[in-house]
Amino acid sequence: MRWTAWIVGLLVLLLLLSWGWNAGARRADVRVASADVFTLDPQRMTYMQDLRVARALFEGLCWSDPNTGAVVEGVAKSWSISPDGRCYTFHLRPDARWSNGDALTAQDFREAWRRLLLPDLAADYSELLFPIAGARAFFAWRSAQLESYAKRGSHSEQAAQELWRETVARFDSTVGIEAPDPHTLVVRLEQPIPYWMDICGFQSLSPVHRPTLERFSRIDPDTAMVRTEPGWTKPGVLVCNGAMRLADWKYKRSMLLEPNPMYRGAHPAQARSVEIVPIEDASTAVLAYESGSIDWVSDLTAEFRADLVSAGRNDVHVLPAFGTDFWSFNCRPTMPDGRPNPFADARVRRAFARAVDKQALVQSVTRLHEPIATTLVPPGSIAGYESPVGLTFDLAAARAELAAAGWKDRNSDGLVENAQGEQFPTVEMLFMTGNPRVQAIASALVAMWRDGLGVQFDVRKKDGKFAKEDLHAGNFMIARGGWYGDYLDPTTFLDLSRTGNGNNDRGFSDPRFDALLADAERAADPAQRMRLLTDAERLIMEEQMPILPLCRYVTLYMYDPDRLRGIVRTPRLDQRLQRLHTIGGNAEDAQP
Amino acid sequence: MSMLIARRLLQLPLVLGLILTITFALLWIIPGNPMENESRRPPAEVAEAMRRQYQLDRPGAFLAQYAARASGVAWVVGAHPVPFDLGPSMRHPDWSVNEIIAAGLPVSATIGLGAIMIALLIGSVAGVIGGLRPGSWSDGATQALALIGISVPSFVTGSLLLVLLAAKLRLVPVGGWGTPAHALLPMLTLSLPFAAYIARLLRFGLADQMQTHHVRTAMAKGLSRRDAALKHALKNAFLPVLSYLGPATAIAMTGSFVVEKVFAVPGLGRHFVDGVLGKDITLVMGVVLVYAALLVLLNLLVDILYAWIDPRIEIAARPQ
Repeated sequence: MRWTAWIVGLLVLLLLLSWGWNAGARRADVRVASADVFTLDPQRMTYMQDLRVARALFEGLCWSDPNTGAVVEGVAKSWSISPDGRCYTFHLRPDARWSNGDALTAQDFREAWRRLLLPDLAADYSELLFPIAGARAFFAWRSAQLESYAKRGSHSEQAAQELWRETVARFDSTVGIEAPDPHTLVVRLEQPIPYWMDICGFQSLSPVHRPTLERFSRIDPDTAMVRTEPGWTKPGVLVCNGAMRLADWKYKRSMLLEPNPMYRGAHPAQARSVEIVPIEDASTAVLAYESGSIDWVSDLTAEFRADLVSAGRNDVHVLPAFGTDFWSFNCRPTMPDGRPNPFADARVRRAFARAVDKQALVQSVTRLHEPIATTLVPPGSIAGYESPVGLTFDLAAARAELAAAGWKDRNSDGLVENAQGEQFPTVEMLFMTGNPRVQAIASALVAMWRDGLGVQFDVRKKDGKFAKEDLHAGNFMIARGGWYGDYLDPTTFLDLSRTGNGNNDRGFSDPRFDALLADAERAADPAQRMRLLTDAERLIMEEQMPILPLCRYVTLYMYDPDRLRGIVRTPRLDQRLQRLHTIGGNAEDAQP
Repeated sequence: MSMLIARRLLQLPLVLGLILTITFALLWIIPGNPMENESRRPPAEVAEAMRRQYQLDRPGAFLAQYAARASGVAWVVGAHPVPFDLGPSMRHPDWSVNEIIAAGLPVSATIGLGAIMIALLIGSVAGVIGGLRPGSWSDGATQALALIGISVPSFVTGSLLLVLLAAKLRLVPVGGWGTPAHALLPMLTLSLPFAAYIARLLRFGLADQMQTHHVRTAMAKGLSRRDAALKHALKNAFLPVLSYLGPATAIAMTGSFVVEKVFAVPGLGRHFVDGVLGKDITLVMGVVLVYAALLVLLNLLVDILYAWIDPRIEIAARPQ
C-alpha cells in the first residue's frame, strides 16, 4: 500500500500548492453581476458593461444627466458655442486631477481623441469624431499611409518613426482640435451638429493619462502602427480621472472599484467599494442574487425570466432600453448566387411587415410585454423628434400588397404563385444560434407568414461567425437584426439605412432617403432638421421597409429597491456605479 | 527508465509543434475575425489595420513569429525581451495570453486535482465493495450508481447541487471563486464521472484478480477474503486505474467548461471556449499548447509510476 500513500500524498501536495495561488476575497459594499468586461481602455470600448465601468473610472468634458437628458458639466466647467454652431470652446476645471495627482489638461483630451481617430487602435467608435473639421480626412490619410507602408519592401524602426512624426504633424495642422492653453480645448466642426455635446459626453471621448500610456506604447517597425501593450489598464497602473478608481481586477473573476480620492466632491451616499462579478450562467446569477451574495443582476437573461416577471416580484425590473429589436429584409436585387430576390420589391416587404401580429409576439412568445414598435427610433426618447406612424398589423392589407406585387394563391393550394404559376421562392431566414428568445420569435414569425401569406420557409440557424458572413454577403432574405442607439439623436438609428453604411446589412439604397438625411445635416433650424428626419423615417418605416421593427428592447434588472439605491431607470440606462449604495434599516439612509 | 524519460522529453517539442500547426490551421478555416462583435462593425479601414497589426494577413509570418516567441527561441537569440511569450489576447487587449493562463490554470488545476482526489476516494471504495462480492446486491447498487455517475451530464448534477446545497441549504456560496468553500461544489460535480469510471475499472479488475492463482492460494492458506483482496489483489487491480489517472488528471486540471460556467469559476476551460467562440487565435493556441504539454507530461508521470509498480513494463519499453 506504500505506493497508494505516495500517490495520495503527491496529489494532496499539488492541491495545497495550487490552493496557495488563490488568495481570499473580501466582500464589497455593492456587488454587481455583469457580463465580463473586455477592456478598460476607453478608446477601445464597445460593450455596454465596459462603458458602464468607464463612466465610473473616467470623466469626459460633460455628462448627459441620466434623468433629464440635459448636458451637465464634467471636466469642462463651462463652454461656449460660436454663433454659426461650428466652434466649441471648452473651459476645463483648473483643479482637475488624475488619480495620481497629476494635473488634467486639455492636451490629455487632445491626445485621447487623436488616439480614437487613429486606425491603428481599431477603435469601434472612431466615427464619432468624424464631425470634427479635418477628422475624416486625417483618418483616411493615415489609413492610406499605413497601407502603402505595408506594401513597401523594407521596414525599419526609423521609417516607422518618421511616418509617426509626419502623422502627428498632420493631425496638428489639419484636425480641428486645439489646446491653446492647458485649460482650454477648442473644437471646430465641419458643420453644426445639434447633438455634439451628447457625443462629448460619450465614454470613448474620455481623456487618457499620457505618461502611463507612453510607457506602454511603441511604434511597430513592421506595420508603422502605434501599438499599446496590455498592462496600462491594470490595478496599480491605471491612472484615471473619474469618481472611482480601480482597486483590483482579476481576469473573468472580479473587478473592485473604490472611490477616487482625487475626484472633486464625491457623491455623499457613494458606496465604499463596488465589485463587479462576471457570472456567465444566467441561472447561477439569479441563485447568487437569491442567496444574497449579489446585490444587482445587471442583465437578467435567465430563460425563466418571463416567469419571474409574471410572478409580479418587486425586485424584477423590466426597463425599456434605447434600442429596437428588428428583422432585416434583404433589399439587394439578387441573391449572391444570382437568383432574383423577391424582397427587392418594397410591396413584398410591406406585405410581410403587415402580416406580423407584434402584440401576440410580446404577449405569448417573449412574454415580457415589451412595447411593440412600428418605427426604428424609440418614440418619445428624443426631445423634439416626432416619430412617424409606421405600418400596423393588418392581414388583409398584407395580402393585398402581396397580390399587387403579383403573388396570389391562383390554384387554391394555400401557397402564393405569380402570373406564370411559379411558387413564391422559399424564404431563406437567417439567425444566430444560441439565443432562445430569437429562436422563439423566429418560429412564431414563420408561422404567421406561412399561415397568413402562404409562403414557405427555409430556416437557417447558424453559429455567430457563419451567420455574420452570410449577413455581410447578403446571403439571406430575412435575417435577425437589432440596434441600440449611441447618442440622443434620430440619426443614430437612421444612419443604418444610408447607402453604403457599414452596418447596412440589408443593402438598402434609396437616393430620396439619403437626400433627406443630407438635407437634415445642412438644415440650420433644429426644428426643420427634426422634421426632415421624421420624413426620412417615414420613408423607410411606411414605404420602403428595409427593416421590420418588432418591439423596443427591454433590459431586465434584478435588485431589491428597498436595499439598493442609485439605479437609473431612464431609456439609455446610463448607470453610474459611483451612485450605487445599499441602505440599512435606519430611516435617515432611506432617503435616496 | 531514464531512456524512456529522455525519449518522451525529446518528443515533447515535436508533439507541441505539430499540435500548434494543426490548431492554427483549424482556427484559420473558421470564418470571421476576432475584431467583430455582436452588432456593430468598425470602418473597413479599422478592420484592415487590425488584421495587419496582428499579422492576420500573413499566416506564415504569424505562425513563424508565434512559434519563435512561444518556444523561447526569440528570447534566446535576443530578438524578443520575454521568454515563452504567447502574445496578447486578440479579444481582450488588456491581457496577455500568459496572464490569462496564469490566472485560469491554478483555478482549474485546484478544481481538477480536488476532483480527482474525491473521485479516487469514492471510486476506490465503490469499486472494492463491488469487486469483493461480484453479483451481490452491494455490487449491483454501486454499479448502478456508477452508471448514473457516467451518464448524467455535469450541468445537471452541478445545477442540482447548486440549488440544493448553495441556494436552499446555504452551506456554500453560489458560484464565484476565492475561498475553499467556493471550490467544494465544482470539485464534487467534476469528480462524479471520474469516480464512476474508476469504480467500474476497479470493480472488474478486482473481480478478475480474485480468480487468479496467487489470490486463491492466499485464501486457501487461511487469509480472509477481505485481507486477500486488500493485500494481494488490489495492487494489480489498480493498474488500469493508474493508467486512466494520467489523462483523467490532465482533463480535469485543464478545466471543464460546463462546471466552470455553472459555478461561475474563472478557470481555463471557460477561457478556452470563449476564445474559440470569439476567434481569439492567440488565446486558443496558448491554451492548447499548455493542455498538450500537460497531457504529455502527466502521461510520462503515469508511465514512470507504472514501471515502478510493475517492473516488467520497463523491460517492454526498452528498445530491442
